[in-house]
Amino acid sequence: MSETVLQIEGLEKSFGALRATCDVSLDVAHGEIHALIGPNGAGKTTLIRQIYGSETSDAGVVKLRGEVMNGLNVPQRVARGIGRSFQISNVLMDFTVLQNAILAEQARRGESFRFFRPAFDDQALIEGAGVMLDRVGLGYRATTPVADLAHGERRLLELALALAAEPALLLLDEPMAGAGSEETQHMIEIIDGLRSRAGILLIEHDMDAVFRLADRVTVLVEGEIIASGAPDVISADKAVREAYLGSDDHA
Amino acid sequence: MDALRIFLDGANRNRTLFVLLVGFALFPIYTGIADLPFWNDLAMRIMLLGLAAMGLNLVLGYGGMVSFGHAAFVGVGAYCVGISQYYGLFNGWIHILMALGACGALGLVIGYLALRTSGIYFIMITLAFAQMLFFLFVSLEQFGGDDGMSIDRAEFIIIDLWEPLRLYYLIWAALALSSVLLMFIVRSRFGVVLQAIRSNESRVEAMGLAPLPFKITGYVISAMICGLAGALFASWQEYVSPDIMHWTRSGELMIIIILGGLGTLSGPLLGAVVFLLLEEILPEVMHVVAPSYAENWMIVFGPILIAVVLFARGGLMGLVHQMTGRRR
Repeated sequence: MSETVLQIEGLEKSFGALRATCDVSLDVAHGEIHALIGPNGAGKTTLIRQIYGSETSDAGVVKLRGEVMNGLNVPQRVARGIGRSFQISNVLMDFTVLQNAILAEQARRGESFRFFRPAFDDQALIEGAGVMLDRVGLGYRATTPVADLAHGERRLLELALALAAEPALLLLDEPMAGAGSEETQHMIEIIDGLRSRAGILLIEHDMDAVFRLADRVTVLVEGEIIASGAPDVISADKAVREAYLGSDDHA
Repeated sequence: MDALRIFLDGANRNRTLFVLLVGFALFPIYTGIADLPFWNDLAMRIMLLGLAAMGLNLVLGYGGMVSFGHAAFVGVGAYCVGISQYYGLFNGWIHILMALGACGALGLVIGYLALRTSGIYFIMITLAFAQMLFFLFVSLEQFGGDDGMSIDRAEFIIIDLWEPLRLYYLIWAALALSSVLLMFIVRSRFGVVLQAIRSNESRVEAMGLAPLPFKITGYVISAMICGLAGALFASWQEYVSPDIMHWTRSGELMIIIILGGLGTLSGPLLGAVVFLLLEEILPEVMHVVAPSYAENWMIVFGPILIAVVLFARGGLMGLVHQMTGRRR
């Protein structure tokens, strides 16, 4: 059995009377794609935010490779190996694709408090950034301003940036959101190819993508895990079908 | 060699700035021949306001931090000269070092406290700190209180300032040096992070960088440049009063930056040139065109500023780039 990358135990979060996360425990192993599905408002993104550190937890523990993450902020967690792609593309719109990647590269190297040499002309950074973009097949768009990218390309850049720091755990929040079918196929292939790099926790509404990629599926409804297991077990689960998949939703 | 190459590349990308700097360097030759010493005085005022605006632009334009209290740093820089002289210290180099030190320390404290907030709260906290300092100096009777204090021309060991042109070139040197320094900073890794924070702070965090240290460092550098401008301002005006740190002065700096072009190297200086020239020329023009309204020249001034901000995206530098067909 490969190493457990992420382990969360008894995670809780309430917003006033609304319990967004109720006693959630799950784990992700290295090389595994663990899909998190559930209807809108089930608390999937809240859970991702709690793992990522942009939301504090009321109770429970988040561990990355055995190290407790509670109390660490976002940059600290990223530095320890958590990468995240956002539901709504979260890239630097004023910059070009390459400039986005250069910034990620200098951040990865921990060499950002330098005041002299121009960052965007730095050969070492440009090379590292190029590798980053090639990983998702975006190298040919390097000089394009992000504002001019197609939606699918922006999703790819988002993914490239999430991978920049070579995270042990990758949190993907609806990477296919808004993508066309061809783009979705491309994205599925790329995510499939990431298995060897990290453990992946994937939120996705595209059931086709989920069942093609996931090694394990966890179903979240109203903040609670109602089922967790292999994809075929989950798709056969009666409670899951009623709560989420619907009788005709998954062809 | 490397530094020279980076410098030349940067200068080539910021031609407007360097044209203006060369222009200011040569200007006294013209005023000397044409016998118009008054214009030297105006040029010094433009350079001083341009320098302060450049300092503010590092946080406002590049860092996206809307600091509404930067005149306080200009004022503290100026009072460093006045207070030093009050205690018998007349060395101008020491005045400048004190202004840099005091504004750096003050910028660190204010930045550390204020940068924990953002948006409207940040604007209000920086304004509150500036008002606090304003009223502090109003209440300091021994330093002139409301009336301010007069200042002797400082003594510079190498450059004796009794001759007006020497002060002119000291101000020019400070402006040129700060320009080059800022040119290196904004293109460096630090500067790039600062601009990324302006563009999208949560993306910077997602890259594993904590934004606060970068913001505070930018804030301190910015405060120190404004302090330098303030110290030279005191020497130029031979007088300092709390008026220099009134909140409308902070607003003036912001208007100059927005007029010239937010987040550009050349913008603040170009903005200062146009702003102060308009302020100088408009009353004269009004006097000829509509004598009975000459005192109300601001009626024309305001709409001109609004028109530039509305129609020239990116201020005057936006216009310059449009005309030269270059992307920023």
